[in-house]
Amino acid sequence: MKRLIPLLLALALVMGVASAEVLRVGMECNYAPFNWTQTEPSDEALPIEGGGYADGYDVRIAKKIADQLGYDIEIVKTEWDGLIMSLVSGKIDAIIAGMSPTDERKLTIDFSDPYYESDLVIVVRKDSAYAAATSLEDFSGAKITAQLNTFHYTVIDQIPGVQLQTAMDTFPTMIVALSAGAIDGYVSERPGAESAVATNPNLTYVSFADGSGFEADPADTTIAVGVAKGSELTAKINEALAAISEDERVEIMAAALAAQPSAE
Amino acid sequence: MPTTFFGWVGFLAGKYGPLFLRGTGTTLAVALSGTVLGFLLGLLVAIGRTIPLGPRAKWWKRVPVKILNGVLGVYIEVFRGTPMIVQAMVIYYGALQYLGLDMPRFVAAIFIVSINTGAYMAEIVRGGIISIDRGQTEAARSIGMTHWQTMTSVVLPQAIRNIMPSIGNEFVVNIKDSSVLNVISVTELYFQAKSATGTYYKYFEVFFIVALIYLALTFTVTRLLRFIERKMDGPENYTIHGSQSDSRAAIPVRKED
Repeated sequence: MKRLIPLLLALALVMGVASAEVLRVGMECNYAPFNWTQTEPSDEALPIEGGGYADGYDVRIAKKIADQLGYDIEIVKTEWDGLIMSLVSGKIDAIIAGMSPTDERKLTIDFSDPYYESDLVIVVRKDSAYAAATSLEDFSGAKITAQLNTFHYTVIDQIPGVQLQTAMDTFPTMIVALSAGAIDGYVSERPGAESAVATNPNLTYVSFADGSGFEADPADTTIAVGVAKGSELTAKINEALAAISEDERVEIMAAALAAQPSAE
Repeated sequence: MPTTFFGWVGFLAGKYGPLFLRGTGTTLAVALSGTVLGFLLGLLVAIGRTIPLGPRAKWWKRVPVKILNGVLGVYIEVFRGTPMIVQAMVIYYGALQYLGLDMPRFVAAIFIVSINTGAYMAEIVRGGIISIDRGQTEAARSIGMTHWQTMTSVVLPQAIRNIMPSIGNEFVVNIKDSSVLNVISVTELYFQAKSATGTYYKYFEVFFIVALIYLALTFTVTRLLRFIERKMDGPENYTIHGSQSDSRAAIPVRKED
């Protein structure tokens, strides 16, 4: 074993030399509709080294960026906790993984301009009175919760007279609690709500017109491409993103929502 | 779309079956090679740690043995005392960031599991070695065997048999704990499972399937190890050829009921 280590390391060195013209993009491939793993190839999906194919809003945006830069693209499927380390150490060139440009993350990495802006909605039961709500005031007296340690939970206070419930750990737990009647609704971003509704036909969600919904920090509601500090890619990626119009982004998200496996 | 729990289980198993199988292959490959390499590493470390120093050992023997002991001790404490997820991140990303060493992730995965297992194995093997009566070591040394010969010919064959259950434990632990390697982009079984949950937002159904796969893996492995243990024990009935008084004697030994 001891003699094997230098051999392995040498092997690693030879095999690991990265070619220059490939944009290596890190994502979890398990955050539909932004990025997901599917088993069959499709026109939009890209192969993943460990098996399966990646598709989603992030993948489609990544392809557009790579096209603009004239790079080939490689999807590196990495657990969320490993993404920033991957980027900092140079295993990947960019994070396109539904990541919000928070101040804390900006200490370690740079971000491009936003490529998606989400709005907050409330997921409710179809048969409840709240399904017809249009403003935050309509939720007065409702039992509302949101995911633990997210800004979704802190904005609930903006509903006048709300019965704030204990924060919950995952979306599936909130879906179960909502279906069972333990809560009247939970706060979610629109794409997550659409996915939940797609697989749970007894649910729907309430969205709000501009000005009558939640107010939140853009650092939380927008999503941007993560790049290494001081990277020359940032300007190039911003240029590529600027070429994708707002309408086009809405179209891409709609197409991703329609293409996600749970929408079949 | 299915509507029942088992409907979803069947649907997801059919849909993600190939990915789960591929993840299972990765998990098994990493766990198996990590356990075998870790065991060999542990053997070497334990042999090094049990080099005897007589009261009259000269300084030129005493000093290197003490240094070796110290280094191996630090290795065991560090790799046993820190979580594997931390070791994975530090070794894989740290090697590139600070040493410019870009390891392929699969090589890194096996390296990390091996070196982590090695630390545990070293202590397990040491336990096995000290479980063998000192008289056997003394007898071997008195007929002129070196420490290495004593270990490989006398002590370890018995010690390894005794620690087989612990080695089995390590193997089972590695099958499950290799799931932390997804932080270095190794797509093993658990990571594939998370992909399915993140796509369909169906947690219990997916983890039900994956739990069954893990259980099948660990169950098979423990049965196999029990089989190997029985092989190592040798046949229950055997014959001793030759005795102190008659070289042609054949003494049959039967299993006691």
